[in-house]
Amino acid sequence: MANVELKNLTKKYGDVVAVQNMNLKIPHNEFLVLVGPSGCGKSTTLRMIAGLEEITGGEIFIGNQLVNEKDPKDRNVSMVFQNYALYPHMTVEENLGFSLKIAKVEKKEIEQRVKEAVQILGLEELQKRKPSQLSGGQRQRVAMGRAIVRRPDAFLFDEPLSNLDAKLRTQMRTEIKKLHQNLKTTVIYVTHDQVEAMTLADRIIIMKDGYIEQIGSPIEVFNKPVNVFVATFIGSPPMNIIECDIIKKDNNLFIQVDKNTTFLCPKEKINSLENLKKVLIGIRAEDIVPLDNAITSNNANWTFEKIIDLAEPLGTETQLFFKLSNKEIISRMYNPRPVNIGENIIFQIAINKVHFFNYETEKTI
Amino acid sequence: MMKHIKKISFWFLVLFLLILICMPGIWIFVSAFRPNPEILAKPANWIPDRWTIHQFTQMFSINGYVSVPAFKYLMNSVIISSVSTVIAITIGMMGGYAFARFNFKGKNKIFLGLMLARAVPGISLSLPLFILFAKIGIINTSFGVILVYVAMNVPFTIWLTDGFFRQIPKEMSEVARTDGCTRFQAFWNVELPLAGPGIGAAAIFAFLLSWNEYALASIITRTVHSKTLPIGMMDYLDEFTINWAGMCAIAVVMIIPALILTFIVQKHLVSGLTFGGVKG
Repeated sequence: MANVELKNLTKKYGDVVAVQNMNLKIPHNEFLVLVGPSGCGKSTTLRMIAGLEEITGGEIFIGNQLVNEKDPKDRNVSMVFQNYALYPHMTVEENLGFSLKIAKVEKKEIEQRVKEAVQILGLEELQKRKPSQLSGGQRQRVAMGRAIVRRPDAFLFDEPLSNLDAKLRTQMRTEIKKLHQNLKTTVIYVTHDQVEAMTLADRIIIMKDGYIEQIGSPIEVFNKPVNVFVATFIGSPPMNIIECDIIKKDNNLFIQVDKNTTFLCPKEKINSLENLKKVLIGIRAEDIVPLDNAITSNNANWTFEKIIDLAEPLGTETQLFFKLSNKEIISRMYNPRPVNIGENIIFQIAINKVHFFNYETEKTI
Repeated sequence: MMKHIKKISFWFLVLFLLILICMPGIWIFVSAFRPNPEILAKPANWIPDRWTIHQFTQMFSINGYVSVPAFKYLMNSVIISSVSTVIAITIGMMGGYAFARFNFKGKNKIFLGLMLARAVPGISLSLPLFILFAKIGIINTSFGVILVYVAMNVPFTIWLTDGFFRQIPKEMSEVARTDGCTRFQAFWNVELPLAGPGIGAAAIFAFLLSWNEYALASIITRTVHSKTLPIGMMDYLDEFTINWAGMCAIAVVMIIPALILTFIVQKHLVSGLTFGGVKG
């Protein structure tokens, strides 16, 4: 039951900066997800909060208490690791009760709390087994149970689902979400999987090279990415980014995508694009709509025709691949029909769905 | 048919090699239970005409007559080997853990230094050790021998336990520490039990090394106070005669505890040496 606060948190390995001046307030009961490519400093941040990694600078508060100098054991946080890290020489029961045994909690109380956790996670049948006799999903559940039993101030998850297969991952994701709703505790969750981040988080932090790129709710970071990195990292398939020239003609501003494709610049962007020569535009695959299952055409749309290079039917949708200014572009066709390679298809883009990024800084315009 | 012949010839080969390897041992056992002249008989008398436990009764002064104080030597051996093993494995365990888990300045160099210490032939240290021990007055004491054996075994046990601790995922101790353990509690409750078989194997090796050691003990031990079994064996060497039967008997006394120990821990020994099954 506690909020967590990071002030100017910094971690350096020699000259290499792993985390740079991180400032963050995590209110009680929030599900916060740290997401980013490997090496972005997300796990390091988590480990610093847990006390497993020494911090180079800054302060960490858990429940308004400065914990910089505290041992992991005194921080009252529980961590769930990617490789489960169950104690192989103990049964499921003993694994769950270990932290309480160390804390010299009464035996009856231990039994009671282990029983609770076992019920929450549906481990009744497995209590007497050793970790080696459990499947991956069961192990992960025990690892979570071990964290629950302690009743920590905050749960720390370090890529807990990465070792599971795709189906189990989806299932466990739901369970983690439910667990959070039941327990009402602060959760800090590290993952490199943006789907996990989107589905689980109250708030997402996207990190890169030790810096926070953006903080926001899943919808916010999806709809209003602050830069190209966030735009391409969040969402699957990644956002199409196209390099375009800006052309002035007859008092109008045009965006030239490639030789044959030019769009009129939307009015509200004219001011900011006027003095630029180049711009990056970003369009999500689902916003490039084939005309035959499209939105009604009106002036606010860009329309163009392309030859399809490749079509991947996925059942509910078909992903269409074509080239724009020599870049491969993905479009999503909902309500799919069979598409032949080499077919000409007319696409439409609603201009309010187009993201503009500065060519040099890659920041949103 | 060919298959059968192949199989039979294979087993004959195995049997032959087995006999070849075990022959000295068998010879010692057989010779321990027969009179001296029979040992020296030519051609060799493989199966004794007369079995006797004369050497053993003499050695352990069962009929009042003592040839060699074997019991005292046995006790010396047990005490020296056990104590030096316990000390060496305790230090080795801590050292191995430190090498496996912590980063400190000069870590690799220190490790290399320890390994090089193993490479020095023990016998080359005998003279300096003798002079040093004589000067500080611990020559001919169990303490002196224990000291030497500990020094001899520590690099070895560090090297072995370091490997075993390395194979335990780092997360084991980390999760224990977030579970409320101090670093030592995490070591004691989680990492030590997991490395147990490995540490056991290292301890057995250290024990056997001390149990069998001859070269250095022959320099440092002078009398019945500190002589171990291997050194005691030389008591059967007289100016003009050698009591082969006695030597073989004391060798049997030496072999049996080592053999029993190895049998008991054989399973652990193998699992210790092929460690690596620890997976969360």
